[in-house]
Amino acid sequence: MKDTDAAFRRAPVLERVIQVGGFVVRRLVQALIALFGVITLVFFLQRLTGDPVLLLVPQGATQADTDVMRTALGFDRPLYIQYFGFLADLVRFDLGRSYVQNLPVVDIISSRVPYTLELAAGALVVAIGLGVPIGILIAVRRDRFEARWLIGLVLIGQSMPTFWTSVLLIMFFGVWLRWLPPSGVNGFQSLIMPSLALGFLSMATFARVTRTSVLDELSKDYVRTGLAKGLSMSRLIAHHLMRNAAVPIVTISALEIANLLTGAIIIETVFAWPGLGQLTIQAISARDFSIVQGVVIIGAAAAILLNLIADLLYSIIDPRIRLPGRDA
Amino acid sequence: MKMLRALTFAALIGVVMPTLGFAAAKETVVIDLVSEPSSLDPHKQWNPDSHFVYRNIFDQLLSRDDKGEIIPSIARSWAYKSDTEIVFTVRDDVTFHDGQKLTAEDVAFSINRIIDKKFASPQLSQFNKILSATASSASEVTIKTDGPYPVLLAQLVKLSIVPKHIVEKVGNDAFNLAPVGSGAYKFEKWQRGVDVVLVRNDNYWGDKGYFLRADFRAVPDAATRVANLKAGTADLAVTLDPDLAAQLEGAGGVKVLTAVTERIAYLKLNTSRPPFDDVELRRAVAQAVDRQSIIEGLLGGYDKPVSQLASPDYKGYVAGIQGLPFDPDQAKQLVQKAGAKAAEPIAFVTSPTFDQRIVQALIQQLNDVGFKINVESVDFATYLQRAQSEKTKQPAISFGRWSCACQDADGISFPLLHSSSSFSALSDPKIDALLEAARNTLDPDKRLVAYKDVATAVAKDALILPLYQAAVIYGASEKLKWSPTANESFFLNRASWSE
Repeated sequence: MKDTDAAFRRAPVLERVIQVGGFVVRRLVQALIALFGVITLVFFLQRLTGDPVLLLVPQGATQADTDVMRTALGFDRPLYIQYFGFLADLVRFDLGRSYVQNLPVVDIISSRVPYTLELAAGALVVAIGLGVPIGILIAVRRDRFEARWLIGLVLIGQSMPTFWTSVLLIMFFGVWLRWLPPSGVNGFQSLIMPSLALGFLSMATFARVTRTSVLDELSKDYVRTGLAKGLSMSRLIAHHLMRNAAVPIVTISALEIANLLTGAIIIETVFAWPGLGQLTIQAISARDFSIVQGVVIIGAAAAILLNLIADLLYSIIDPRIRLPGRDA
Repeated sequence: MKMLRALTFAALIGVVMPTLGFAAAKETVVIDLVSEPSSLDPHKQWNPDSHFVYRNIFDQLLSRDDKGEIIPSIARSWAYKSDTEIVFTVRDDVTFHDGQKLTAEDVAFSINRIIDKKFASPQLSQFNKILSATASSASEVTIKTDGPYPVLLAQLVKLSIVPKHIVEKVGNDAFNLAPVGSGAYKFEKWQRGVDVVLVRNDNYWGDKGYFLRADFRAVPDAATRVANLKAGTADLAVTLDPDLAAQLEGAGGVKVLTAVTERIAYLKLNTSRPPFDDVELRRAVAQAVDRQSIIEGLLGGYDKPVSQLASPDYKGYVAGIQGLPFDPDQAKQLVQKAGAKAAEPIAFVTSPTFDQRIVQALIQQLNDVGFKINVESVDFATYLQRAQSEKTKQPAISFGRWSCACQDADGISFPLLHSSSSFSALSDPKIDALLEAARNTLDPDKRLVAYKDVATAVAKDALILPLYQAAVIYGASEKLKWSPTANESFFLNRASWSE
């Protein structure tokens, strides 16, 4: 183990750059193929049940008036022509227009992205800020009273449905105490409750992963050695143990960030938070195809990118980990 | 470390405290809608949330008072030159928000814009009887229709007047983002996905608004809208259900506002395919359904039973029409008599858009008298598609709610009962002739005679089963003074505040 590590460190800088570059290129090509599959699937799946024209016209519109609308939006064309038109626009980075809002999809989505990022960041602060320390505490103080108490908290975090947590928060802080606005986007105060509600579930995940990872490390020789030579537990954890225990936490972070970015539909709806989740669910029920397509493309791209970043981060945190796809 | 903790706590309190005190003077009224407007170009979108906002930015050619009567607005008066030609005199004291005068040219432009097929307005079907609009003088607009059209005035209540000079200069897209009208409130800003803010137009020609500002927010969850009302962060919330209304009744500082609307709920029976091509089985359905128990048990008692496809607010409403009485025993006998025909399972087509408790109650009541009805729930677009497919392929039985937003019997009866309409499952030459007669004359008495025959046939043969006139439920701060109307519109300059 020690030898490989040394060999890797000695490798010329250029070779390492080529190795990392090759890895990134391979992954990006894979990602493009996956992305193409996803958008094709979404394009056809959405159209399986017809078009949005009937939702746009008032009740009682005659067939002729509906046809005018259908022609204007291009839904009278054969499906494959619509598909190739969509692909042709896509390679020019044109995601089309929303049929409902009469605006370019890019404008609509980019106006919502900052809210999604803000909420995901808030939730991540809650999740990591609470989850990792709780995980460490449970591992270090296992069998003690406070650990059992914290495990209970984690269990609650994991099993409470988010819409229920959200409603409780709104009733308590919004209506009863009137400390925080029940919904909306009004500076930092508005971010607190949705971040808590969204971060609570992830907090439990982080706590569990951290606990397992720390417990693994606690049984290792260097920990016993460190304690024997008189290091305090907190110093040992902060300086030695966490560096080794961090890899699974980074992996789970990538997955959780992707989750937080795309999985906030309920929270966004309850708190009237104008992120991508709310936009998507509304677009789906209005059959606003181009918005759904745009969100899926961006969501898939984000998930692929985050996984790539996580893979690259491993080798920085733990240089023993080789990037995959290269002979050992 | 302790210091840091204390500081963090202080900072948190500092952030939290300002929300504790609410503004003393009421400058801004906050309205919680379900979604943000889809568009603020009044000719481009037709949904309640868009409508709620843009009707305050734009004036309409005509308006309705709180009782529902058509009253002058931009048009000061009107006169029929013939059955197909009507001249509107336009007010000369109206200016757009940019200071330019509103003229007959703008009115003609607005009408021609909405009937232009290339523009593809979703509202085309409401104005497609208009052939042309021309500014015959600086203050007169002549509208020509493709036949006598009794519903024209009711449709023009929904025609917003846009400024020709601005739309032509900036184009449709830019106009949608920064709309300029002549209404009682001016557009201030639109934070996408969050809210639209309007500010009072102090040069308005009519009644000026009470509130300086109005903030229309998008709050999709109804329980959150109620929480906002209770917390005092919203002053008016739209689209509540009876359960939430009951919650509000018990809370302090808030109230429930409600009105029966022009929206009619109905049970559509397909007369073109078995089993409901059989008049006896349709009558069995009519006698099995207990409207009153549905209204009292599920709808909070706000809605009103109806026996025709119109409410008393409609032109063409026929007083004294009685449907078949609720009589489950009689219904049971009719089903038994029909034998095998009624024994087949029937799919009841519905969509989550509708209140499913009502659908389930209806199915239960029908199965209680011996029908075998199952629920088939599809998404709303599919529901609409099936509701207007070929007559024999339309669902045998389905629930629906309909408003033409015109308060005229023609608006619901024609599309649901005339054989030429894709929404109709009925092919009855007698009904067709009556509906056409009522549509093609301006004489209200002749129309009423025709609608009386239609309503009588509907009631006697259960061609369709009108259920109830739907109520709309709003929640509001106790201090908000505003009366909801049957056409579900909201005019800011008809609302005020009592301190």
